[in-house]
Amino acid sequence: MLYNEEELERIEKARNEWEQGLLKRQLERFGMEKPSSETYTPLDLKDWDFLEKVGLPGQYPFTSLEYPTQLPDVPQAAGAMRFAAGAYAGYGTVEDTRDLWRAQGRRGANVAFDLPTQCGYDSDDPVARGEVGKVGIAVDTLRDFEVLYEFLDGVTTLDRSASNFTINAPCNIILAMYIAMAEKKGVDPANLRGTPQNDILKEFIARGTYIFPPEPSMRMVRDTITYGTKKLPLLNTISICGYHIREAGATAAQAMAFTFSDAIAYVQLGLDAGLDVDEFIRRFTFLGFSGSMDFFLEIARSRAARRIWARIMKERFKAKDPRSWVISGLGAATEGRYLCTTQRPLNNLTRGIIMGVASALSGGRGSGGVPYDEPLGLGHSYEGTQLSQDAARIMRYEAGLGEVIDPLAGSYYVESLTDQVEAETWEIMNKIESMGGAVEAIKSGWMQREVAKSAYHFQKEVESGERVVVGLNKFTGDDELEVSTSRLVPHPYDPKKREDAEERQLAVLAKVKKERDNQRVQSTLKALHKAAQDDSENLMPYFLDCVKAYATLGEMCNVLRDVFGEWEPVGAM
Amino acid sequence: MNRDKVIRVLMAKPGLDGHDRGAKVLTLGLRDEGMEVIYTGLRQTPEKIVQAAVQEDVDVVGLSCLSGAHNYLFPRVVDLLKEKGREDILVIGGGLIPDEDVPKLKGKGIGAIFTAGAAIHTIAEYIRQNVKN
Repeated sequence: MLYNEEELERIEKARNEWEQGLLKRQLERFGMEKPSSETYTPLDLKDWDFLEKVGLPGQYPFTSLEYPTQLPDVPQAAGAMRFAAGAYAGYGTVEDTRDLWRAQGRRGANVAFDLPTQCGYDSDDPVARGEVGKVGIAVDTLRDFEVLYEFLDGVTTLDRSASNFTINAPCNIILAMYIAMAEKKGVDPANLRGTPQNDILKEFIARGTYIFPPEPSMRMVRDTITYGTKKLPLLNTISICGYHIREAGATAAQAMAFTFSDAIAYVQLGLDAGLDVDEFIRRFTFLGFSGSMDFFLEIARSRAARRIWARIMKERFKAKDPRSWVISGLGAATEGRYLCTTQRPLNNLTRGIIMGVASALSGGRGSGGVPYDEPLGLGHSYEGTQLSQDAARIMRYEAGLGEVIDPLAGSYYVESLTDQVEAETWEIMNKIESMGGAVEAIKSGWMQREVAKSAYHFQKEVESGERVVVGLNKFTGDDELEVSTSRLVPHPYDPKKREDAEERQLAVLAKVKKERDNQRVQSTLKALHKAAQDDSENLMPYFLDCVKAYATLGEMCNVLRDVFGEWEPVGAM
Repeated sequence: MNRDKVIRVLMAKPGLDGHDRGAKVLTLGLRDEGMEVIYTGLRQTPEKIVQAAVQEDVDVVGLSCLSGAHNYLFPRVVDLLKEKGREDILVIGGGLIPDEDVPKLKGKGIGAIFTAGAAIHTIAEYIRQNVKN
């Protein structure tokens, strides 16, 4: 407790006098019904216990920070034109992206796949028309992986590089390509580093690139966890995303509750497969929770997230290793893209900075937010990227944010808000638990409807003017200057290549299909078909055989569609 | 048009794009504006969308796409409606559509394009003014 009874009584008395006296007179004077600002006092933290609620950095419940001290500075990329580790990128064919990454001097891959790949269709599937190479690269066979990774030739080796794959439903097929390529290059897969997204549950809730129904989809995640734990010790098995759920419309508490409920379901997969929780949990990582302009709420939300996850791991799953209690990846993707406006788009820079400062004040590194031209079309300009990197640098080096860990700890307001958002989150999680867990809450469409309701609520607030968005629903008159922006430095993606990627990829795919040993392809697919029918089988070795025979991603997914069926969303609206 | 008739809208997600925040918000919003709105769900081919539009006898098809495939998918829906003799159905679009694509799409028969920041009542008003029968 911060204050003893006697002191609290004195504060309460003073507060009552203030409310009935000074505050009341002021309200009367200005004809206000209620104050336009709120006041917090020690009375809001009557039973607050520092060690229970916050603890020291790197100690349970990790509210202030995951680590005992901020990690040493990560060397900064030389500039917007170069990417040392690699920003999320990819377009056109693998040749286009390979050439771009070579020119940028990249040392790691952070792969954006096109939608046909993410949804398990080959580039020559009729439903892929118009989508090949648009939002990412097209990958049909191992050949495409081999060509893509030529960007590392002469730069570094695969085992000294890390790869991120934003892939979910066909995640294990993509991992099989990564492993098969490593083997061909003479790299031991046990030395492969990287993170596949592999968070299929949030695809049902928010992002939409599901293929199979929830149960067989979860079996595939189980396969990643069990195979990965034994054979790929340096590779993360999953990146559990709050980001997309929030971007789709969920509130801060909903996003946390849905994400942690998903995470609980994934942990249960490992336990049900007979693994010890401390054996596999450290290969689980998270992808932030997006953000909002609700500055203090976002600070409270990050602090609450660390605490909630620590409690889940320690108290529910009884993990023994303190490192198993730590949430990883919380500081990623803290910017709310859904808040960007096309009106006076440079204001998105200001919005990003406000969200970045919130992140820096709650243990993050202080990101500069999403480049301001996010809503103007696919891909960011180099100018937008430069300015958002600079914003983070200004926070870090000019303003010194991050030099003190959790500087708002003990604030009557921030601690109250942290407790409040944590309580809201647990309440929603308990509701999901009573429905039978995340998978059931998704199968009934409940989570999806909740997200849509919140998105609509947000939109109604914007349209009624209750929620102000500068330049969109307020300050839009003739006396405002409609500041627009042009992209002076061309976008790194060549629009012509993106346009004709489909045609070029189709030619490559036809050639691969003609030149491969088609009998071998058929026999590996047949083996996959048989194994898929037995739930106790881990499909990873079968995918590896298929991939090495240059079977296509679509062929493998079609085999699984045949066995698992496809997900038809229920009661989406 | 006959003021008593309730406007029927098919809200559709053509292609493989999974970003459906806009489509869902607009489905709920246009319902509150007094229209009957059917939402197709994700991953609809232009053929399926047109089939649903004809079967449900809608007045408006709203297409939402954030994956960059709009230049192929939107005009394809217009063309297929024409083939079915249903050019009377108003087609509007939205999503992540660069400014420079808007005139091209309008030239191919898309009535209007609404992007981030468009208000529901603005879209509803456009529909009321432009439904064809």
